[in-house]
Amino acid sequence: MTTITISYPDKARRTAITQEPVWVRRTLISLALIFLALFLFVPLISVFYEALKKGVDVYFAAITEPDARAAIRLTLIAAAIAVPLNLIFGVAAAWAIAKFEFRGKNILTTLIDLPFSVSPIIAGLIYVLVFGLQGWLGPWLAEHDIKIIFAVPGIVLATVFVTVPFIARELIPLMQAQGTEEEEAAVILGASGWQTFWRITLPNIKWGLLYGVILCNARAMGEFGAVSVVSGHIRGQTNTLPLHVEILYNEYNYAAAFAVASLLALLALITLAIKTFVESKVTQQKTKE
Amino acid sequence: MSTFKQHSVLPGFNLALGFTLIYLSLIVLIPLSAAFFRTAELTWTEFWTVVTTPRVLASYRLTFGASFAAALTNALFGLLIAWVLVRYQFTGKRLIDALIDLPFALPTAVAGIALTALYAGNGWIGQFLEPLGIKVAFTPIGIYVALTFIGLPFVVRTVQPVLEDIETELEEAAAMLGANRLQIFLRIIFPAIFPALMTGFALAFARAIGEYGSVIFIAGNMPMVSEITPLLIITKLEQYDYAGATAIAVVMLVISFILLLIVNLLQWWSRHRNALA
Amino acid sequence: MSIEIRHLSKQFGTFAALRDVNLEIQSGELLALLGPSGSGKTTLLRVIAGLETADSGQVLFNNEDTTRQSIRDRQVGFVFQHYALFRNMTIFENVAFGLRVRPKDCRLKDAEIRERVTNLLQLVQLDWLADRYPHQLSGGQRQRIALARALAVEPKVLLLDEPFGALDAKVRKELRIWLRRLHDDMHITSVFVTHDQEEALEVSDRVVVMNEGRIEQIGTPDAVYEQPANPFVYEFLGHVNLFHGRIHRGRAIISDIEIEAPEHAEAENLAAIAYVRPHDIEIDRVTNGESALAAHIVHIVSIGPIVRLELAHDDSSNKNLVQVEISKDRFRELQLTKGDRVYIKPRRLELFPSHASANSIH
Repeated sequence: MTTITISYPDKARRTAITQEPVWVRRTLISLALIFLALFLFVPLISVFYEALKKGVDVYFAAITEPDARAAIRLTLIAAAIAVPLNLIFGVAAAWAIAKFEFRGKNILTTLIDLPFSVSPIIAGLIYVLVFGLQGWLGPWLAEHDIKIIFAVPGIVLATVFVTVPFIARELIPLMQAQGTEEEEAAVILGASGWQTFWRITLPNIKWGLLYGVILCNARAMGEFGAVSVVSGHIRGQTNTLPLHVEILYNEYNYAAAFAVASLLALLALITLAIKTFVESKVTQQKTKE
Repeated sequence: MSTFKQHSVLPGFNLALGFTLIYLSLIVLIPLSAAFFRTAELTWTEFWTVVTTPRVLASYRLTFGASFAAALTNALFGLLIAWVLVRYQFTGKRLIDALIDLPFALPTAVAGIALTALYAGNGWIGQFLEPLGIKVAFTPIGIYVALTFIGLPFVVRTVQPVLEDIETELEEAAAMLGANRLQIFLRIIFPAIFPALMTGFALAFARAIGEYGSVIFIAGNMPMVSEITPLLIITKLEQYDYAGATAIAVVMLVISFILLLIVNLLQWWSRHRNALA
Repeated sequence: MSIEIRHLSKQFGTFAALRDVNLEIQSGELLALLGPSGSGKTTLLRVIAGLETADSGQVLFNNEDTTRQSIRDRQVGFVFQHYALFRNMTIFENVAFGLRVRPKDCRLKDAEIRERVTNLLQLVQLDWLADRYPHQLSGGQRQRIALARALAVEPKVLLLDEPFGALDAKVRKELRIWLRRLHDDMHITSVFVTHDQEEALEVSDRVVVMNEGRIEQIGTPDAVYEQPANPFVYEFLGHVNLFHGRIHRGRAIISDIEIEAPEHAEAENLAAIAYVRPHDIEIDRVTNGESALAAHIVHIVSIGPIVRLELAHDDSSNKNLVQVEISKDRFRELQLTKGDRVYIKPRRLELFPSHASANSIH
């Protein structure tokens, strides 16, 4: 969702005339920190607090019971299909858009971003309209006894939809900035298309690629709205982790809900940690050039 | 030679573009078109009746009102946070910078139950607000809180790089010409970051309109009072009212596309201004 | 290998980058494509390389049409303006790349690759940098590595796009001499693009001056400098003074002076512009009888052994300042100071009828 930003440490070092008075600085920093505390840090901490409030035994029971394990499995399956698909898509789209000039390129770039501006609920709804019992393919699917909606394929499809843009939109600006000269040089030196891609392009975009994969994976595992519409909420069968959280919460089983939620929060923190690491790598790469 | 594509010695264009178009059509475009085809089965009067019942209108008011308020809060505090992160040094800055993206990374359902627990009458924050007569959880204010949470990174992350790119010399020049800090901010810095700020606002607003997961836990979901439009779509779907759900979805989609267009225009404006500078 | 270019045209949208270009490049020659930006020189180089395709026309290598040949079969070496070194590979691997990507059946053995790359790195005097990465090298070093990489595949033609464009003045001069020497040793047909006339004149065997997608003149450095074919070439190669005057039956009249112009014997009172190089103007404090232009000194700049004077005509019809370059010795001899009144006379000039110049000078 974000593009990679690079911060320059020396930008913060300023002379007196381009710096606010100390009291202004302190007030602004305090205001920012209070806001962040209320809206970010306290909610994050509360997840872990609520999860462990009833003790470690309750916590581990909640995340190891069969339904939770099934939810973990389904979440992993959905991500394991959605992320590689969108990875291939992202690389193909970025190759076409960043390395070639053709008509309609801007429209294509906008279309790739489309899933970000569609409500997750609508993302789920449109798959119901295509594959549901009353949908376009519904009667045919029923005849052949193929279940997509309220089954695992629907969950995977909805996950793929909401994560389509992640990798492409990281790679497009990166590959555009790198230009085509290195690839042209490789072709002149006799490299084939695949040799050029594997030996020149891929090593140059590896960090951007990892960045996109990380964000894509986080969203794939955490998607709630779209999956909720197509899942059917069958415990142990069509529940992903976020849906499992919802069920437990609605059953007033707060400790278990937060225990499962804490797994997802942990995933978010790991995502942010890797993301920060990759950003520092990208900054290093940029300063080298 | 076709004029569709300029010549290049690099291979793989047809394969890459072909795959991109097929994939995008199958996953995104054809399913999305289903919503419009379904709605076309209704007459215009039927459509209009469905999307303008009092309950639906109340949900629009709530969704857009809360989203607008949340995006505005995000614009204000997002600018403040971006400013503090770019300009000032303080302990824990790197950690905070990394955590800004938490709302992107944290599943919305987790955010939803965490905020609900905090702002409920017996929650960590709610217990201080309740005596003051402020009820957050299960009211429209709760929706505003949730939408503010999920929209926070947009403004920070669009404004931050622009703020970093403003040259210190520009401010030094203004200072040498006699401007004070406030004048420098209002006349030099603010105009420079304004397009980015608007882009961030529009992105946060667009995201908030479609948001579901973080809101439903804290909203209370009372028809006419605290029922957002995405929830209404689900409710209709659960009642097997496909036509009704789809009609409302089309209204939302059209609004989303208009917002997407505005965001693109804003980004073009922003780039254009930076290119001129 | 010889290269022949026949009726090459290339359009980018509404912009004509090449208009019916014809050129023959002899085997073993070092040729400079010289012109301002947008003149089509880089496009021409990229078409020869196969990086661009022309809309019409042909490129022949040793009398063989290359139009249908893939870029890999052309066997050209190309040095990019910004070098395009592979940032994820060491210098050694950069140079070895072209050898490593060959199909298995004609790939050299590892030891042979190693030997050839080492030889090339020695040739460009950078063998001690083999294990570094491109970003650790200076601009001049990168330039030489880019050249070594292009030479590794033993190309029949070497093409260089603004090879010294991104370097600072001192390194540029050194590399220029070095490239000339390298070419003299290897005798590989080479074409390089530049917008720097000094570079073109100093390094190349022949210079091709280009403007607006056309070739304006082809010739040895001396020829294009001494006998420019038209006003554009005159203006592009070094500074030049313009004098408005008339030509009439083999004589040119510029203000008070008359000069023989036998090549314009047919002209009948024709408006003309005289082009005179700053160092082709004589200057003196007195007229010594001959006709000369009266002027006074506006500005004096001393650059090393040369003094550049800027003069204003007393005659109001020629409003432009005149630039004159004289040696420091002559300057001392005349004891000139600002505001002094002097007499000038062109030693050599080139005359072009006014209408011709109006087309190509902006």
